[in-house]
Amino acid sequence: MKLKEEELRKITLDTIQELGTGATPEKVKEEVRRKIESSGGGDFIFKKGDVSSGRVILTSFGLNKPGIVAGVTKALGDSNCDIQDLTQKLMGDFFTMIMIIDISGSQKELKQIQEEMSKVADELKIKIYLQHEDVFRYMHRI
Amino acid sequence: MPYEFEEILETIRMTEIEHFDIRTVTLGISLRDCHDRNIEVTKQKIYDKILHYGKNHVKNAKEVESRFGISIANKRVSLTPISIPFDSCSLEEYLEIAKTLDKAAEEIGIDYIAGYSALVQKGMTNGEKELIKSIPFALSQTKRVCSSVNVASTKAGINMDAIRMMADVIKQTAELTKDRDSIGCAKLVVFANAVEDNPFVAGAFHGITEPEVVLNVGISGPGVVLEAIKEAGNVDLQQLAEVIKKTIFKITRAGELMGRNVAEKNGVPFGIVDISLAPTPAEGDSIADILKIMGVEDVGAPGTTAALAMLNDAVKKAGLMASSSVGGMSGAFIPVSEDQGMIRAAQSGNLSLEKLEAMTAVCSVGLDMIAVPGDTPASTIAGIISDESAIGVINDKTTAVRIIPAYGKKFGDFVDYGGLLGKAPIMEVRNLSCENFVGRGGRIPAPMRSLTN
Repeated sequence: MKLKEEELRKITLDTIQELGTGATPEKVKEEVRRKIESSGGGDFIFKKGDVSSGRVILTSFGLNKPGIVAGVTKALGDSNCDIQDLTQKLMGDFFTMIMIIDISGSQKELKQIQEEMSKVADELKIKIYLQHEDVFRYMHRI
Repeated sequence: MPYEFEEILETIRMTEIEHFDIRTVTLGISLRDCHDRNIEVTKQKIYDKILHYGKNHVKNAKEVESRFGISIANKRVSLTPISIPFDSCSLEEYLEIAKTLDKAAEEIGIDYIAGYSALVQKGMTNGEKELIKSIPFALSQTKRVCSSVNVASTKAGINMDAIRMMADVIKQTAELTKDRDSIGCAKLVVFANAVEDNPFVAGAFHGITEPEVVLNVGISGPGVVLEAIKEAGNVDLQQLAEVIKKTIFKITRAGELMGRNVAEKNGVPFGIVDISLAPTPAEGDSIADILKIMGVEDVGAPGTTAALAMLNDAVKKAGLMASSSVGGMSGAFIPVSEDQGMIRAAQSGNLSLEKLEAMTAVCSVGLDMIAVPGDTPASTIAGIISDESAIGVINDKTTAVRIIPAYGKKFGDFVDYGGLLGKAPIMEVRNLSCENFVGRGGRIPAPMRSLTN
């Protein structure tokens, strides 16, 4: 359930009235949060993460060697990321791999996944970039 | 896969190798409701309002950076021209306000806050006179405050009295900040036809027709254009225009996406994308290099103005197609100190002040970050500003002068600020006087072009 802005305002005003003279900004905030959580309308303020479509594009490249795909996919699997598409190319000793990943099922936010993948990149001595899909859609599609 | 392999790699190459970044996300905040007869209350209102809207600006912008993998070089704030809401203030009170702005900027973690400004193209109120007089002190006693004054417009003509005053202000600012290579002048812009939604500091301000609060974005990306032209090889000029347009289209789209996301996170409306190509002192992120790769030997060679005009036009056409919210300056910037190629051209003597002036007739802004000898007379600086204003007024475009008469320095020396402001060679100024012309004062009447009704 999503709360409209007016509903949120009403809850806040009611809370201020209930608290009367004891209404400090902190108390009001806490009370409003409690009310919204108990009514199940947390989406408005407390939506998890900030990824709208939930799809990100992972690009990785570097010198080819065994275990790169395994290393990358294992880390993604551990974070409950769903690989929806994968393409890979080898040019001489260099490999490039691009994946489309849905992270909406993951308990982690994009930032956390980026941090973890950067550790994987260091271990494998490759480059890994994770970017929200929108940037590619905006730049390459009209 | 919904995207081609090459498309994805192109984006990565742009951001990782070719210096593509968003130059600035600038939060415009109206201060029109902050006036009070008590200066202390005024200061508190200003401080509170900037903090209210700006406290998460940097954090939100950083989150958007990591989400899309494109960096945002500057996060800044622009304000209602200070002289408008606080017209009744005295010089000392304006100075107090400047210090408050500095403190608020520091608190929200931004490097520059702009809008210590006045719009005096037709004439000056008493408050505006006070503000202009306070500029040298404000710029020398604060770190983050930037100032701009509009002295001419196509509709109003050129206010020579204001220009003379600004020439003195520039000289005084240079002297008051002489211990730091006259850095105060790098934070002061004199405009003709200033735009109200320009996100680029130092010249930014939140125009009086703007909403309560708005977020504007300025794109960058000379490095990306440079690489695209290199890759295109020896093609004719029409094909070259196509190459530039395709590249700009992509970076404008990315800019708008980033701007809209930062605006959404800040909970404020999105304003405009300024599609100016803005260089940085980083090697390869240079407008001069683009002109050279287009085919002129160095900036300043015959053909430079034509090449720049074509570049600027292609940028606009592509930007207009890419976004329905184009605004601000929207052109190409040619600041000398912030562009390695321009620095080299000025240093070698290939680029003169006069050629630079011609170039400003076909691109956005004007004589930007130009260092001249410290003993350049105020009347000569007034002459330079009036020339630049005339180009703006007659061509119905924005022009500006950000000139640094570096105190104690002479032709051949350098001023060096480091960071984004870069390093500028002191350029030669013609030793001919215009004292009797600018000394006449008054206003150059608005041109024929102003009578469009």
